[in-house]
Amino acid sequence: MPIALSPPFRPRNGLTKFTNCRLVRGNKLVQEDLWVSSLSGKIVNSQAAFFDDLVLPDQTIDLGGRIVSPGMIDVQLNGAFGFNFSTLLDDMSQYGKKVKEVQKLLVQTGVTSYNPTITSQRPELYQKALPFLGPSGHLQEAEDGAESLGAHCEGPFLSPTKNGVHNVDVLIEAQTFEDLEACYGKHNLTPRAEGEQIPIKYITAAPERGQMMKLIPELKKKGIIYSVGHSESTYEEASEAVGLGATMITHLFNAMRPLHHRNPGIFGVLGIAESLPRPYFGIIADGIHLHPTTIKIAFNAHPDGFILVTDAMHLVGLPDGAYPWTNGDTTCNIVKVGSKLLLENSDTIAGSSITLLECVNNFLQWTGTGIPHALQAVTATPAAMLGLQGVKGSLDAGADADLVIFSEAQTPGQPSTLVLDEVWKFGTRVHRATPPKSE
Amino acid sequence: MRLIIRDDSDGASDYVANYIINRINTFHPSAENPFVLGLPTGSSPLGVYKVLVQKYKAGLVSFENVITFNMDEYVGIPRDHAESYHTFMWKHFFSHVNIHPSNVHILNGNAPNLEAECVAYEDAIKKAGGIDLFLAGIGEDGHIAFNEPGSSLASRTRVKTLAYDTILANSRFFDHDISKVPRMALTVGVQTVLEAREVVVIILGQRKSLALQKCIEEGVNHMWTLSSLQLHPHPMIVVDEDATAELKVKTVKYFKSIEKVAQEAGFEQILPSKVRTGNGPIPQTTVDEVSSPTIHAPQPTTSRLLRATPATEYPIRSVSPDLVPDRMASRIPEPHLTDRLTPNPEQQAVQNAITA
Repeated sequence: MPIALSPPFRPRNGLTKFTNCRLVRGNKLVQEDLWVSSLSGKIVNSQAAFFDDLVLPDQTIDLGGRIVSPGMIDVQLNGAFGFNFSTLLDDMSQYGKKVKEVQKLLVQTGVTSYNPTITSQRPELYQKALPFLGPSGHLQEAEDGAESLGAHCEGPFLSPTKNGVHNVDVLIEAQTFEDLEACYGKHNLTPRAEGEQIPIKYITAAPERGQMMKLIPELKKKGIIYSVGHSESTYEEASEAVGLGATMITHLFNAMRPLHHRNPGIFGVLGIAESLPRPYFGIIADGIHLHPTTIKIAFNAHPDGFILVTDAMHLVGLPDGAYPWTNGDTTCNIVKVGSKLLLENSDTIAGSSITLLECVNNFLQWTGTGIPHALQAVTATPAAMLGLQGVKGSLDAGADADLVIFSEAQTPGQPSTLVLDEVWKFGTRVHRATPPKSE
Repeated sequence: MRLIIRDDSDGASDYVANYIINRINTFHPSAENPFVLGLPTGSSPLGVYKVLVQKYKAGLVSFENVITFNMDEYVGIPRDHAESYHTFMWKHFFSHVNIHPSNVHILNGNAPNLEAECVAYEDAIKKAGGIDLFLAGIGEDGHIAFNEPGSSLASRTRVKTLAYDTILANSRFFDHDISKVPRMALTVGVQTVLEAREVVVIILGQRKSLALQKCIEEGVNHMWTLSSLQLHPHPMIVVDEDATAELKVKTVKYFKSIEKVAQEAGFEQILPSKVRTGNGPIPQTTVDEVSSPTIHAPQPTTSRLLRATPATEYPIRSVSPDLVPDRMASRIPEPHLTDRLTPNPEQQAVQNAITA
């Protein structure tokens, strides 16, 4: 006979059902329900839960047709809310605390996981800071905010002529893997125990410097992703690097040779024969680093590899003004005007201070490719680049229940833009843009 | 039999959905007295589910105290397979309404013992108090659930081998690969459907028009299993105009006039109040035994002997009595000569001689 008890008597199962919503699935928005569990922190196969576990969700949330996207992933973030990951503190125990503060604030921007990025620094900083930046999601604590998917070491094995704002004095060459270990610290490159993850997820290096090209397979073997960037590589060198296992290009077009019709440079590898794997590539869509049309060309060259990144500095989230910046041994000022960052008294772009959602909205405005494609560039594609398909950046059953709920802002005659309403981490709501009216 | 004809499939689906909602709401189901609903899968009822979900979302009906029994399920494909009937029901109905999973019954095509699964299913229906309303669709060959042509009209829930036609037709859901289509299914029987207190069938489209014609204009026939509905006390068939293509004009007009009159009089399907408000006993037609001194029911002696299994009992034969030898003369009784009434010529002759 029926066990249809009224909801208060039912044991809590931590299930939330989103209904009347549009889910980002592949390159489509589909009208479908979504079940998430705050206990397992995963997206639930609702049919199996219903027929096997005989459960109904604790709460059902009617989203009124809004969009549910996987949580956004920023694979290149240098710092935020006043804290720069490339900082040595006198008391390094404070470093971990600072990272946690950043993560709690970062999640409110819709970025549920990210790769903390250290720019070119002296070995000491890598060795001391990296242990705090490794993957942090194994505890599945929603309150911890954004989750690190592992550190990104952008340097110091870069080309001195394509240094951007990186300090030329700290750039070095690697001849052997020992040189990498000497720089990043052996403990940051070898798992301490079987199955344990190392803090470094991927590194950006110039393949033509030293013997870096030969080290790519070794890095790959260790599970470290190799990204081509800050490099003078020719098309041939870049192709060789891709052939050896490079799967990413760090901020395409920036800090590399431009596309020349007789030597297409690093960009050219996006055009290589379909039989060879084509790398993923990061794009900074802040309107300063790249022209909108350039972005459109890059997207159309290889849509499946297109990843939007912020490359944001620690000034993101702070008010406009001049801020001191210590880059290795030198200290200078960075002037923040809106999302624009310039070195004081120069025209050099000093990273960006744009949020990932602003990048997505810029991309939507400039290309009109549609919301699912734009969101893929910050969810499924970066997850695939990091080897986390089906775990992050996905709304399929079994994936981590990191979600962002967007509403659409319509402007007549223009593509609609996304407005962040809610952020969920591991099946729990962690942020609401506007508190509900009823409460 | 009621036949409701609507202009198009939307109209027909709308009618059925509203009828079901009406039935549930007038029933006032509670945890102690739930409404028991039989449910089909397939393309015909899709529109009905859509309207039911809409009305649920609009707050016009609640499925909290509704128990459901599904008609059938394939054997041997995973439960979460895209074409399984579990998936169908989840996708189109259960995931959108407030029905509790414990109140949902669908045959398990992966049960270790399929026969036991079928028996348990019949028991579950009985335990729930019988089905109040069985919604059904039909196939082009007039099959109801997976009761393919030739199924016994007295059948109950069981394992059924699919007809080649059905396998061919369903291959469109399995990459057009016949080898991927399940060969067997579990299905409720014709009798299971007929035992529901009410049966509502939705038939849409011209492809089903011949089946509709066979089922309502011709006799009860196991080759068109839906025709068994003619034996049910409260059947209702809802169709669109296309499905009436093979019917006689007279039939269509007749049923339309019934509906018109009924509407004017303010009723739809006349159901006994017991059926409307639930949990009465399963209706059973009682047929009085006909007692005739001359006609005897034939004993099933032959059929029992012809069974595949060896006969365990044999028909009773008349027994020959033991032989008791005797004379024929002893069987003739002694004549009581003194009692003889007729004149005795010998005695008279003797008496005459004495007197003479």
